[in-house]
Amino acid sequence: MSAFLTYLLNGLAVGCAIALIASGLVVIHRVTGVVNFAQGTFAVVAGLCASSLLGLGLPHGASELAAVLAAAVAGLLTGLAAVGRPGTTPLSSLIVTLGVGVLAYAVEIVLWGDQPRSAPGLAGSVTVAGARIQTQHLLVIAVTAVAFAALALFFGRTYLGKALTACASNPYAARVVGIDVRRMGLLAFALGGLLGGLAGVLVTPMRPISFDSDVTLIVNGFAAAVFGALTRPVITLAGALLLGVAETMAAGYGYGSHQLEIALGLMLVVMIVQAGRRPAISQEPT
Amino acid sequence: MTPAPVVEVTDLVVAYGAATALDRVTLSVAEGEMVALLGPNGAGKSTLANALAGLLRPASGTVTVRGRLALIPEGRQLFPDLSVADNLALGGWRSGVRDPSAVYDVLPRLAELADRRAGVLSGGEQQMVAFGRALMSRPDVLVVDELSLGLAPNVTAGLARHLAELNRARGLAVLLIEQNARLAFELCRRAYVLESGRLVTEGESAALAGDPRVAGAYLGGAIT
Amino acid sequence: MMLGRVAVPLAAAVTLALPAVLDDSALAVYVLLGLAAMVTVGVSLLMGYAGQVSLGQGAFYGVGAYTAALLALNGLPPLLGLLAAPVAAAAFALVVGLPLLRLRGHHLAFATLAMQLILLSLAGQLDFTGGDIGLQAIPPFSAWSFEAGGVTAYAYLTWAGLALVMLVTRNVIASRPGRALRALATSETAAASSGIPVGRYKLAVLALSAAFAGLAGGIYCFYTGYVAPGSFPVLISIQYIVMAVVGGLGTIWGAVVGAAAITLLVQGLDRLANLPGMPSYAPGVLSYAVYALVLIAVVLFLPNGLVPAIRRLLSRERPAKTR
Ligand SMILES: Nc1ncnc2c1ncn2[C@@H]1O[C@H](COP(=O)(O)OP(=O)(O)OP(=O)(O)O)[C@@H](O)[C@H]1O
Ligand SMILES: [Mg+2]
Repeated sequence: MSAFLTYLLNGLAVGCAIALIASGLVVIHRVTGVVNFAQGTFAVVAGLCASSLLGLGLPHGASELAAVLAAAVAGLLTGLAAVGRPGTTPLSSLIVTLGVGVLAYAVEIVLWGDQPRSAPGLAGSVTVAGARIQTQHLLVIAVTAVAFAALALFFGRTYLGKALTACASNPYAARVVGIDVRRMGLLAFALGGLLGGLAGVLVTPMRPISFDSDVTLIVNGFAAAVFGALTRPVITLAGALLLGVAETMAAGYGYGSHQLEIALGLMLVVMIVQAGRRPAISQEPT
Repeated sequence: MTPAPVVEVTDLVVAYGAATALDRVTLSVAEGEMVALLGPNGAGKSTLANALAGLLRPASGTVTVRGRLALIPEGRQLFPDLSVADNLALGGWRSGVRDPSAVYDVLPRLAELADRRAGVLSGGEQQMVAFGRALMSRPDVLVVDELSLGLAPNVTAGLARHLAELNRARGLAVLLIEQNARLAFELCRRAYVLESGRLVTEGESAALAGDPRVAGAYLGGAIT
Repeated sequence: MMLGRVAVPLAAAVTLALPAVLDDSALAVYVLLGLAAMVTVGVSLLMGYAGQVSLGQGAFYGVGAYTAALLALNGLPPLLGLLAAPVAAAAFALVVGLPLLRLRGHHLAFATLAMQLILLSLAGQLDFTGGDIGLQAIPPFSAWSFEAGGVTAYAYLTWAGLALVMLVTRNVIASRPGRALRALATSETAAASSGIPVGRYKLAVLALSAAFAGLAGGIYCFYTGYVAPGSFPVLISIQYIVMAVVGGLGTIWGAVVGAAAITLLVQGLDRLANLPGMPSYAPGVLSYAVYALVLIAVVLFLPNGLVPAIRRLLSRERPAKTR
């Protein structure tokens, strides 16, 4: 029983990290219509940055903050390439973000080498109802909760957040009232970079990260975002938690080698079921 | 004495790829003036409206706007997922006005609808939101693309009254794009007629209404 | 048109003559280039005609390679293995394509990527595929009394395979269904409403592109003598997209030119990176950077690809003589 509880809590922590990646995907997709393949890259950049800065002796907090900001800058640069040129179609933009992800490999290997790196997180563990849970996992869950609450406030209550939603809702109308849709797209990419970076600095202490960790991260994040049809953050969060728990349970009960298949299989099933429900005609401009 | 123009368009050419939608169009709207723009479907009226709003880049010619221009686009074009209040607030993006209460004074019905999602409103209510959203930018000139489109006559008449009132009380200049020529001639002293991207006639509404060709094509005098 | 009538036989003759004069290391590049071109023709057909992005083309390549390797290792004639490779890849594409092709755009891109990841993970765990180590000691290719002894033989085999792939593609494009496919790439809705069986055509193109990849995989396994999950990384699928996009989507020659340009560029940089004094990570870094920068630059600045751009340049230079 306590093993189950441990797996559940660990799974929630893993799910939270996936949720942060996925939320970045959702923010970018809502505003620009682009699926950002480089979303996992932002997490890798932040994780590697944090491990370097901590290694240089910078204190906790400052290191992570700087790493997350670096990821936001990476997001902005990705946005410039993907949506900076007027007339780029969403599918072209997807291919560009794919290119950005590969370009990041080159930069990351030069800066950090090709071996996995780790970073110290919060040490120690606490016992909850007989289940041991690492403090770092609790931190991940807490930060994710705060991040999602902040996102909800930002999009639901602030003027800038509403302007971003307006771009998603009707880009032509956004231009009519004078909103610079391209600038808002760049802002969304920077925000996506920030969220991905947050995931990266939280994950690196749990499992070491290397330049090519982005594929697993983006695939898991996309799988979660697919639950919410790439537009709905709350369902995305639920999907991410489900994925995290399912994967951790699988690993805990001896199917560890099939973790990835479980996530991917789940994603495929959800996508195909969703596609079956939508009329084919309405999906043309993806 | 002619008042200074708020909108001045000279030799405007706009093209979509290889197709020319506007061909050397020249027109102007004076301060506080209400001007109508008539024309059949596909004449290029909406293209002109978008060019005036700076949403389309001219291939050649110039568009000069003195003061702030607001557009009520064809088909309302609201933000369907946002509330009426949020739609209005975003209308103030350029002016920095966030508080819609001044618009509620003009269009009190909007205050009652404030918390509804714009996407679920009726056509008339949506047009009123689009109207209010345009007013939020504190415009000096308002371009209305098809005020009456798809609306019941009494709803159109209500909106037209508001428009005339704003023009009289605040000196708001208006360029009214309309299929309903009767309404346009009633509201506006002057009118232009656009066909296949070119201005074919312009003049005083009264004179145009008397022109047999215009009357035939736009006042239902003859079937063409 | 006139240009094509001269250039095509010329290109065929020159490439056919090349294996006789190239040294072994150049021949290795020749084989890799040809195999990549075979897969890329399929990718280009899929993207340019059916309007679908596949991030999992490497999976079909892998299915072909494993199929040929398993058959040959179980004592069947290598020729049979080579023939079975495209058939198995196409059959696999039909099975996965049935559900996957209900997806479009980025959904399909991720679904095909997921397919490849699942396949790689399974190949790395199952016993009959040899796990992570893969399958070794695959016998060389042979048919009747002929046995492929050296690289030169594989170069000719690759040439023949690519010629076949291009010929099939040319005929498919010129056929009536091929012209209907053109409509599909522009607007699926319009194509569907004009009575084109969109779903079946897309599936057929996917299967065909998989068959091309499978054939290339079959040749590859005999050529290298071993296959492992590591031979088919996700990056290889991205590489085919880069090649197709660079050459120009939906053009046969574009795929070949794209494959050639990227392969030669990467090989050239590889030489540079292996010069003494270069850091050990240089080869990887340079090839990643090249894939990425070329892909981004072409998508943004040359969206139709190299071959259509060159064609346009040529036809602009002599506008009068089109016939
Ligand atoms: N985005 C576009 N791309 C290409 N052509 C366009 C586009 N928008 C309009 N057109 C073409 O430009 C011409 C003028 O269109 P416009 O919408 O300006 O006409 P309109 O006078 O507003 O017509 P309506 O009364 O139907 O609203 C038409 O031939 C139309 O087909
Ligand atoms: Mg119009």
